Amino acid sequence: MLTYDVLIVGSGGAGLYAALKSRIEEDLQVAVLTKVYPTRSHTSAAQGGVNAALANKDSTDTWEQHWFDTVKGSDYLADQEAAELMCREAPEVIREMEHWGCPFDRTKAGKIAQRPFGGASKPRACYAEDKIGHVMLHTLYEQGLRHGVNYFNEWVTLSLIHNGQRCLGVNALNTRTGQLHTIQAKAVILATGGYGRVYWNRTSNAYGNTGDGAALAYRAGLPLKDMEFVQFHPTGLRRTGILMSEGARGEGAYLLNALGERFMSRYAPDKMELAPRDLISRAIETEVREGRGGPDAEVFLDLTHLGMERILQRLPQIRQLCIGFEGIDPIEEPIPIKPTAHYSMGGIHTDINGLSPIEGIYAAGESGCVSVHGANRLGGNSLLDILVFGRRAGNHALEYARQNDFQPMITNPLATAEARIQKLMDGESQERTADIRREMGNLMAEKAGIYRVAADLKQAVAGLAELKVRFKRLKVRDKSKIFNTELVAALELENMLDVAEVISQGALERVESRGAHYREDFPKRDDKNWLKHTMATKGSDDRPILDFKPVTISRFQPEERTY
Amino acid sequence: MSEKIIPTREKILANIRIQRFTPDKDRTPYFDNFKVEVETGMTVLEALRLIKNQQDSSLTFRAFCRSAICGSCTVRVNADPVLACSTQLLPIIKDFGKASVTITPMSNLPILRDLVVDIDPVIEKLAKMHPYLMKNKERIPKTLEQESLMSQKELTQFGQLTDCILCGACFSTCSAVKVDKTYAGPLSFAKAYRFSIDPRDSFRGMRIQASMDQGLWSCVQCRKCIKVCPKDIRPADSIRDMRRIAIDDGIHDTPGSRRAKAYTDDVEKFGQVNKPMLPVIVNGTKGWAAIEAAEVGLKKHGLEVTRQVCKLPGQSGSAKVYSKIREIEKKGK
Repeated sequence: MLTYDVLIVGSGGAGLYAALKSRIEEDLQVAVLTKVYPTRSHTSAAQGGVNAALANKDSTDTWEQHWFDTVKGSDYLADQEAAELMCREAPEVIREMEHWGCPFDRTKAGKIAQRPFGGASKPRACYAEDKIGHVMLHTLYEQGLRHGVNYFNEWVTLSLIHNGQRCLGVNALNTRTGQLHTIQAKAVILATGGYGRVYWNRTSNAYGNTGDGAALAYRAGLPLKDMEFVQFHPTGLRRTGILMSEGARGEGAYLLNALGERFMSRYAPDKMELAPRDLISRAIETEVREGRGGPDAEVFLDLTHLGMERILQRLPQIRQLCIGFEGIDPIEEPIPIKPTAHYSMGGIHTDINGLSPIEGIYAAGESGCVSVHGANRLGGNSLLDILVFGRRAGNHALEYARQNDFQPMITNPLATAEARIQKLMDGESQERTADIRREMGNLMAEKAGIYRVAADLKQAVAGLAELKVRFKRLKVRDKSKIFNTELVAALELENMLDVAEVISQGALERVESRGAHYREDFPKRDDKNWLKHTMATKGSDDRPILDFKPVTISRFQPEERTY
Repeated sequence: MSEKIIPTREKILANIRIQRFTPDKDRTPYFDNFKVEVETGMTVLEALRLIKNQQDSSLTFRAFCRSAICGSCTVRVNADPVLACSTQLLPIIKDFGKASVTITPMSNLPILRDLVVDIDPVIEKLAKMHPYLMKNKERIPKTLEQESLMSQKELTQFGQLTDCILCGACFSTCSAVKVDKTYAGPLSFAKAYRFSIDPRDSFRGMRIQASMDQGLWSCVQCRKCIKVCPKDIRPADSIRDMRRIAIDDGIHDTPGSRRAKAYTDDVEKFGQVNKPMLPVIVNGTKGWAAIEAAEVGLKKHGLEVTRQVCKLPGQSGSAKVYSKIREIEKKGK
């Protein structure tokens, strides 16, 4: 049996940071298990920036203001002590990244440059052109190469093993050989990213952001927190959901419906295209619902009136994306766009050290929920979250692994994992992963997406239950042991179905509108009854049981969220 | 006043020819043909996924971010390595007029299955280059109270090189990798160079050594890597620059550096390169064998052999250029 003191599942920013922290100490065996290659992880897709109150651009900025902005942005659902900790530690982790070689852009004085961001009262997003996530991920990977971090590349984690009190390890599939393995570990850190793919084609997320960590934890009896909060970005490309950054609207792009009307005049006559993200997403949905969308239920982001020169000079990246991914040139025609699921605020419930209710099991980054983002994440805080809590989880797991011995492994730990794979291979029907997955995505987008209402959500819950029944009879047709991507897709779908069920159930029960969660039948925020976290655990009938936990309010009393 | 928007979207039925190979099933790679309706906006990756979802679920390829930043999905389309996710299919289908396209895995790497290759050799070679910042204590503060100071201009020197996504397209197309399996490949040198000129770094010497150990002078500057790089990082230029800093740092005793030096010295002296004598300058006494062999060949054809360089009319001009350069260099110091 493979044995490690600390095993990290996931190789994005949080996982690599935790691994590096553990590895630099050198007295423990640490490994990273990832279903891709480390530099493929979705951290690389973050473009805009990472927040830290360095006060390089505006000397009056403080971490306390960052803290307030974060709490306000969260619609007061963030735990304030957790948000405080993140904002306080931010400058240190950013400087550490810089000392490791991260190529941040520079101010005239040679310090790390900072730019303004939505919802931030001061310019505090540190950036590297439009590729900050990419350079951060590569910096962590490079330092990992230096310090000899061990990787299991292209391994899929199948289950968490614990004895009710303590972590024992994981079961995993080596996709290159098709072999199953039990890996014994004193501590496991889940850093598997978000679950935007439950909306399948309506997401900016990578193919693999399938909520694996959340589903692993949920099936292992751990609680998931605030899963109903999913942030939608208003302008994703029609076919792929790839983001057209807010920069385009900042430069003066129009949002047009298929009739060619600047429809934002109906929803935000003053701010027009520069209204907040959630409001624009809802406006687009309304236009499409009322029959003013394009042939593919899209609306249009129009740059043509800006002229060739301005587009080439100010928005060259956006133009390249349109040409490469949509096959159109925005100089000549409007860009077809749809709102796209972008960020998962919810995740595995942890404390401020990333620790779950079971000793030795940790979660960090988008897969975890401390919570610092509450009902709505602020731009630039996702990269900060993975650094601060990746580091904290790494440090805490190390200390735990030092002070504790390996626990006895359960007998025949692989049995359930083997049975699960075998069942998929021998499925009794002709059901296909791709079909169930597409139907799940459409169901979630239509019934539990931007607009939510009780009747729809009930349909979502019922529809998912049906899809789960169909999944049980699904058959993987590819029988090869080697690099069986169809099998991996089926495993991911199983994860997503569990996560989607928790999202829908949470959205149904939360009868208020807060942050990214908008209920048409309950359009107001309700602090009296709903200033609390949703905690979902798996019931004996396979359905989520919801419980609620108060929000920690240490300084800022809830106010109306206006900008 | 508003005008209705009617987007133009085309569809063409195309034949997609894909190389297949499953090691526990097939003896050798073969081709499968799939009919796909290719529409406006469809990328190569979308077509692959469509085939997998609807026609053959065992078709195997890698893909992750599908937005050209993760570097997973490199395949060859009509023999050119590209990111499948950011390559529009319709224009390719139309270009060839045959409504057909061929997709094969990357070259220069072992095939694991279908379009998936083993990229570990690339990463192993990269890892030998010390591809990470080693702190320069004069530039990086001791504590985390401060970041190191670096100007935007210093950053710009290597900024573009940090765009590398390790997709391997350059490795797949590299002429030097093809003939020499120990050669590091373009991206490893680009990464080595990126850190070597970072003012916060202190490990340049080690990286130059590692580069030479992995064939720094073997690159033939065919520049195919520049053509295929989806992030425009120009690896061949980095290789050239890496050679330059190696010579600047006083490494004059390798065949490549001797050749480079012979070129500049000869042009100064003769106005042209003394080609007949180049083998000796580059390879030492072993070079004589090459010269003598060449001379035998020439004599066979009744040609007169000389080891003298003829002076060209432009020689005084080049001498002038060189003296000007020396002057500027002196001032610079």
